[in-house]
Formats: sequence, structure tokens, C-alpha cells
Amino acid sequence: MRDDPVVIALVRHARDGDESAWDSIVDRYAPLVWAICRRFQLSQADAADVGQEVWLRLVEHLPILREPAALPGWIATTTRRECLRVARVNTRDLGTTSSADPEAAAGDWELGVEQEVLTAERNAALRDAMARLPMRCQQLLTMLIVVPPVAYAEISTRMNIAIGSIGPSRSRCLDRLRHDPDLAAFLKRDTQASRMG
Amino acid sequence: MTENWWTDDDRLALALSEAVQAADDVPREFIAAGKAAFTWHTIDAELAALTYDSAIDHGQALVDLRSEPAQLRLLTFASLSVTIELEIADDSVLGQVVPPQRGDIEARDATTVLAAAVADEAGCFVLRPRPPGPFRLLVQFEGQTSVLTGWITV
Repeated sequence: MRDDPVVIALVRHARDGDESAWDSIVDRYAPLVWAICRRFQLSQADAADVGQEVWLRLVEHLPILREPAALPGWIATTTRRECLRVARVNTRDLGTTSSADPEAAAGDWELGVEQEVLTAERNAALRDAMARLPMRCQQLLTMLIVVPPVAYAEISTRMNIAIGSIGPSRSRCLDRLRHDPDLAAFLKRDTQASRMG
Repeated sequence: MTENWWTDDDRLALALSEAVQAADDVPREFIAAGKAAFTWHTIDAELAALTYDSAIDHGQALVDLRSEPAQLRLLTFASLSVTIELEIADDSVLGQVVPPQRGDIEARDATTVLAAAVADEAGCFVLRPRPPGPFRLLVQFEGQTSVLTGWITV
């Protein structure tokens, strides 16, 4: 179990009624809930139902969540259970002709459960660190990491920098990112956890 | 592996790209609904869990009887102090609180009250029309206690 201080603080503040802490929890883990819904191949409407149920359960569960650091795992487990419920209702409504077998999808997902949670935590840590970079670094990196990336000539015009300095700037910004204290601490825990696991 | 992935610029940039993409993939309304759920934290109610659902317990029978008209779905929710029995019809929700008592009933989604009714001294109430989407019932008894059911998807 890794004790992410960011998550622990968010849970504590949300528990005390801090709405912005709750918003941060949702921003942070909505991609996890969404990714699991996609894994179960739920429609957008069904995914919305699952999401609503997961967040409402979490609101109820917050005061009694004994291990705030276990939040991502709790969210993943609850989402999976809700996805199964919705998938079962759909199968029932369609009779038995549905080709998708929710139990098989769940079994398949079981293998990836830990990975999905780890990826979500890593993504959140990366996004948080990115948001703490200087604005110009954020702008530059955003243009370079979108798919497809913005052309160097275009970046040069938009940011008013020479094409030749885009590469070195990218390198500097990435270096700042990896030396962000929170991200560095996260990566260190992440590495230790995977070595132990 | 002697080197960590994040020490390499290209791998770090790729991970960052995936992280941003994963967040961008989530529909905005999906996130908004999650944030709106926080309003529930102020509602101090005892939770009533689903203990019976005719659609699940007799799922196969329901499929077989699909052509029969006027099917009723029966649900039971139970908390420590009360049981709430529901009959979900096409146009209404009939309910009874056991043990019988008066109370105010609200059908709510994440943010709004969809329908309201009053339970009489026999604990009976009718919600009409039936809320279209997922909802849960908040029952406020005269003695101040409140009970909140799990979600009902019709």
C-alpha cells in the first residue's frame, strides 16, 4: 500500500465538507471510472449511471473510509461492481442473445485491475505536476504531446521562439517536470511498490 | 532495467501525453455529475439497502413473461429501523413504509427532487408520474429520522 499524501489530504478535506477537495477527487479519478466503463463496453448513458452511483456511494462512504490511501482501489472495485450490475440488466433486457458476456469481461478485467489503478494514479500525478509547471512550459509541452503534435514551425510562430530552441526547451521543461517534488516522490514510491510487488 | 522510464525524455513525454489524453477522453458532463454528487453529503439519513428485486430474483421468469402486460417490478429496501416496499408500474411508483408511519417522500436524482409524495398513517404513498431516470427515495419521518434508499433504475 502506498500512502499518497495528496490523496490522503483530499479525502480529509472533502470529509470536512470542502467542496473543492471533492471536485479535485472527481477530476483525479473520473478518468479511472471512465476507463473501467469503457472496458465493459458500456454505452455513454450506462457509463453515466455507473459514474453517478460510484460518486454517490463515495460521498456516503467518505466518513467511514478507513484508509484514505486506499481510495483509488475502492473506486475501481465499486466501479467494476456497478458495471457488472448494469451489464446484467442489459443482458436481461436483451434476452439471452447478447454477445457480450459481462462475467467474462469482468474476469478479463480482474487481471488488469491493479494495473488500471496504478495507471490512473500515475496519470494523475503527471497531470498535477504538469499543472505546476511555468505557463510557457505547459503551453509548449501541450503542443508537443497532443496527437497529432503541432508542427515545429507552428510552435515557433505561436510561442515566438526559434525552431532550433524548441528541442532544448522541451528537454528543460521535461526536466522540470521530473524534478517536481510531488511527482518525484510519487515515482519513487511507485518504483518501490512495483519492486516489492 | 537499469534506468527508470521517466529519466528518458521521450518516454516521459509519452507518459505525459497518455495522462492528458486519459483525462481528455472523459466527457465533461460525466465529471460535472460527479462533482454535483457532493450535495448529498449534507443529507444525514440512514441508508436502506436493496434486499429484494423481482427483476433480479426472477430475472429469467421476467424474460419469459415479457409479452405479458402490466408487469409490476417489486423492490424492497431495508434499513435498521424500517422497510420500504415498492411496486414500480409504468406510470407510477406505489410504496409502503413498514412499520406504518407518516412521512414525506422525495424521489431524487443526483441534484434535484424529481417527485414528491406523502405517506399516510398506513405508510402508503404514490409517486406519479414515475421518474424516468435513476432515482432514490428520501423518506423523512415525522420523528425527524430520515431514510435514503439505494438507486432505483427502471
